[in-house]
Amino acid sequence: MAQGMNSQQPVFRLEGVSKSYGSVTALRDITLSVNGNEYISVLGPSGSGKSVLLRVIAGFDVPDSGRVVLEGRDITDVPAHERGIGFVFQNFALFPHLTVFENVAFGLRNGKVPVAAPDVEQRVKDMISLVGLAGMEGRGVHQISGGQKQRVALARTLVMAPRLVLLDEPLGALDANLRHRMRNELRAIREKLGVTFMHVTGSETEALAMGDRVVVLDHGRIAQFARPDQVYGQPASPSVAHFLNRYNIFEGELSGKRFTGPFGMIDAASVTPADKPACAIRYDRMKVEEEGTPGEGPAISASFVASEYLGSSVMYFFEAADGRVIEVEHHLSLGQPQSFEPKRRYRLRWKPEDAIVFGRG
Amino acid sequence: MESRVLKPVLAVYTLLFILFLYAPFFVLAILSFQSGPEGGPQFPIIEWSTYWYRHIFGMVPPSRVAPLPLGEALFRSLTLAFMTMVTSTVLGVMSAQAFRRKFKGSGLAFYLIVLGMMVPGVLTGLGVSLLANNILGIERHWWSTGFVTHVVYTFPFAFLVMLAILNRFDASVEEASWSLGVSPARTFRKVTFPLIFPGVLSAMLFAFTLSYDEFSRTLFASGRDQTLPLAIYGTFSVEIHPNVFAFGVLTTVFSFALLSVYAILMTLSVRRAKKVAMQEDIA
Repeated sequence: MAQGMNSQQPVFRLEGVSKSYGSVTALRDITLSVNGNEYISVLGPSGSGKSVLLRVIAGFDVPDSGRVVLEGRDITDVPAHERGIGFVFQNFALFPHLTVFENVAFGLRNGKVPVAAPDVEQRVKDMISLVGLAGMEGRGVHQISGGQKQRVALARTLVMAPRLVLLDEPLGALDANLRHRMRNELRAIREKLGVTFMHVTGSETEALAMGDRVVVLDHGRIAQFARPDQVYGQPASPSVAHFLNRYNIFEGELSGKRFTGPFGMIDAASVTPADKPACAIRYDRMKVEEEGTPGEGPAISASFVASEYLGSSVMYFFEAADGRVIEVEHHLSLGQPQSFEPKRRYRLRWKPEDAIVFGRG
Repeated sequence: MESRVLKPVLAVYTLLFILFLYAPFFVLAILSFQSGPEGGPQFPIIEWSTYWYRHIFGMVPPSRVAPLPLGEALFRSLTLAFMTMVTSTVLGVMSAQAFRRKFKGSGLAFYLIVLGMMVPGVLTGLGVSLLANNILGIERHWWSTGFVTHVVYTFPFAFLVMLAILNRFDASVEEASWSLGVSPARTFRKVTFPLIFPGVLSAMLFAFTLSYDEFSRTLFASGRDQTLPLAIYGTFSVEIHPNVFAFGVLTTVFSFALLSVYAILMTLSVRRAKKVAMQEDIA
């Protein structure tokens, strides 16, 4: 397959797509371009419009305004069954009255262009073994486990050779162990086939781990669309920083480049444009010091609450004077965990350049 | 504390309910074995016999009791019930399908449909008969006006059954089918219909049984040729003989036989599924 050739060509575009249900606006003016052979993850809390986004692309819902363009063709008014876009559902949505084989063969057998029976047989067999279900062809879909159902759902979609596959929280219904394994498999299968995947998830770790690029949705708007390391290192807004679940976010006042927060005043090197002034510091960029230790840079005092051991790191939870919880992550590769006394006050310090300042710059 | 009072009360209530439900049938069943042709539809049993059963099938010498006018009436009733069942179920499935999405005036349309089962039967029957005779000027028949009346009556039941079924139906399997390039029409045939089929069966059963023993609407709307309930009622007006009871027992036994076959098939298939599942666990 000529994977490298078309990888930078947009396979798919959204132009100013908006959608509301009654008085609830689900999508506001979404413009987005996705390349061929790319893994896009869409991250957003529930109600951010991420499922609606997929449904509009798939053709299950019609946008109020804007265009949907697939491979240069405007498909906004094309019905779902003529789009050639695959969809994998969170609840799998397997056909309960059919066997594994019949589920995977369904699209080939019932599509507009009939596929010859031996051809169907071959393609289904190949796909079933690609997703690791060889030998289960004859089983009913009630007789297989959750992970296997997920594979059937995937195989059923991929056997149609779509250019774009939409996955709506595909790992949401699986237990934690399996979810981890399926992550790697999803990526591996996608790379083997060179299809573009668009994977919606509410889990920030999943989004960052899987996507070549990550779309962060907030209240129906694209808050950020960038590589995972960019999203992680330079969140575009306080709400993106909030979804990532890796940042302590302080609200405050911004005048010029001076940010005043609960920890006092700091000078921002740069200000990231945002509606509300805020300052975000990553959990692992904060250091804990004894109260009264002389030190450089901004700091806030807080009393120790509890700690949580995570294997490769330890999370410490502190409570600031205003009651907010501040989290500090200590990587164990950087040294032994410290032990702190509950209710005692400590100083949490960070380097000025590690603070991301948001505001109307 | 309260269950000390409540439980016995409920028990008695339940017993009475069952008694009223089955006692009449048992009385009729016993009386159907009355001796004939001189035995009447009352106790005591003069002598146990199967005379009235043989009477139904014309296997006894002619007597003063006329044979039940079953042949043609039964044929008419079965045909009418079948026609009604097919029409009402098709209409019910289609309209319930339409109600899956809210449309303009869907509330009004819903109540108009459901009204069909609430309007008193005699009124509907009388109305249809007047409409046919005085306004449209067409003749009444069981297969024309009678049929329409039966559909009007049974369609709401089929509609409600299908509405309940489709309410619980997970639409994502249909969307999955579309996303595989399968047209909505074919999706309905290959995915939706097989999955709602148990509901369709219940709707059919409802429509069939309601039509089969419908009386008040048919009385006015069906014209000269009588359906089975009308024919049997006609024999009452002269004198009641135990042959009617025997016929009742036969139809009940027939229904039970059908239900038993259905139950046995269901049990077998459930057991087979369980067996397969258990083998999977062991393997």
